[in-house]
Amino acid sequence: MMHCTMDDLLALRAGEASMWARQHLGDCGICRSALDAVYQRVAAMKALPVLAPARDRWPVVRTALRERRRAGRAWSVVGLAAAAALAGLVVFRSGGAGPLNTDELATLKQQSAALESELGYLAPNDRVMSGREAALGGLLEDQIAVIDGELGHVGLSGGPVPVVDRVDLWRERVDLMQQLYTVRVTRASSMGL
Amino acid sequence: MAVSLVVPDILVARAKAGDEEAFEALYRAFETPVYNLVRRILRTPEDAEDVLQDTFLEVMRSIRSYRGDGTLWGWIRQIAASKALMRIRREQLRSTDELVEEAAGNAAAPVGERIDLERALEQLSHTARAVVWLHDVEGYTHEEIAEMMGKTASFSKSQLARAHQRLRGLLDEGVPAS
Repeated sequence: MMHCTMDDLLALRAGEASMWARQHLGDCGICRSALDAVYQRVAAMKALPVLAPARDRWPVVRTALRERRRAGRAWSVVGLAAAAALAGLVVFRSGGAGPLNTDELATLKQQSAALESELGYLAPNDRVMSGREAALGGLLEDQIAVIDGELGHVGLSGGPVPVVDRVDLWRERVDLMQQLYTVRVTRASSMGL
Repeated sequence: MAVSLVVPDILVARAKAGDEEAFEALYRAFETPVYNLVRRILRTPEDAEDVLQDTFLEVMRSIRSYRGDGTLWGWIRQIAASKALMRIRREQLRSTDELVEEAAGNAAAPVGERIDLERALEQLSHTARAVVWLHDVEGYTHEEIAEMMGKTASFSKSQLARAHQRLRGLLDEGVPAS
């Protein structure tokens, strides 16, 4: 007489067994015992004592946490310096003169929109990212926000924004978005996405 | 292992903000469940401790991306299981799973000797032990295990059957082999 294989028994447990296995189980005491043994084995595994680590690994994790906090503070200082430099550049530029290039402005806006769209697909959301990537990505996003603020502020303060300034700001914005895109693409590649 | 541990939201929020005390509280709350999970999957206590450490380093790096969609334990457990399976893959690059299983079986399970469940689990291959623990004890589906292992659900099912077959033989449960 043919009996259930282990695959059959596990399929019976999962409610996915073939018609033959289900019918056979009703007729065969040996296979019913074998299925009971599967259940008992799993119950025994669940009842095994909980194992605890012999050594405390918290000090290692704590050290890493403190190093990360220090690195985060360093990134904040760099970010503030970059934002200040950028703001200075914007103020300096506003008094300067240059060729007006509305075509370039339109092109930069298109590039910016395309990059924004691409970045939408690579947004971090709930995926895991490294601390370095998070810090770098955050810094770039902050710088983009500064530029957006400048664009919005100048526009709201009355009068059209000089095209030369807008071209420079949009160029800077595209450059930062390309850097952010590189960071995200590198991460996606490393995760095999 | 069923863990119904619930931690206050404020503790998670403080940990996200980099509060060391809050993070230590999370570590203490989940240290044993994480260790137990990875120790049951991995062969040595040293490997399990390393993965425990790696898991919390990852939790520290990524806790800001935890949005509270599921339980914190579910999120941490996923990281721990993935880390443990990653270590198994690294091990497999150094030696074939089958050889490990045969060597361990020959060394520690003389024919006819009844051994207990703890020792029987140790006799399984890395992969079979990981699958039987993740599926039968932790409650992961074959699809979830397959995704974590980078394999198919069929592979997970066949490893589970293989694990049970071997456990039945090792435990000498008195059920005729089919």
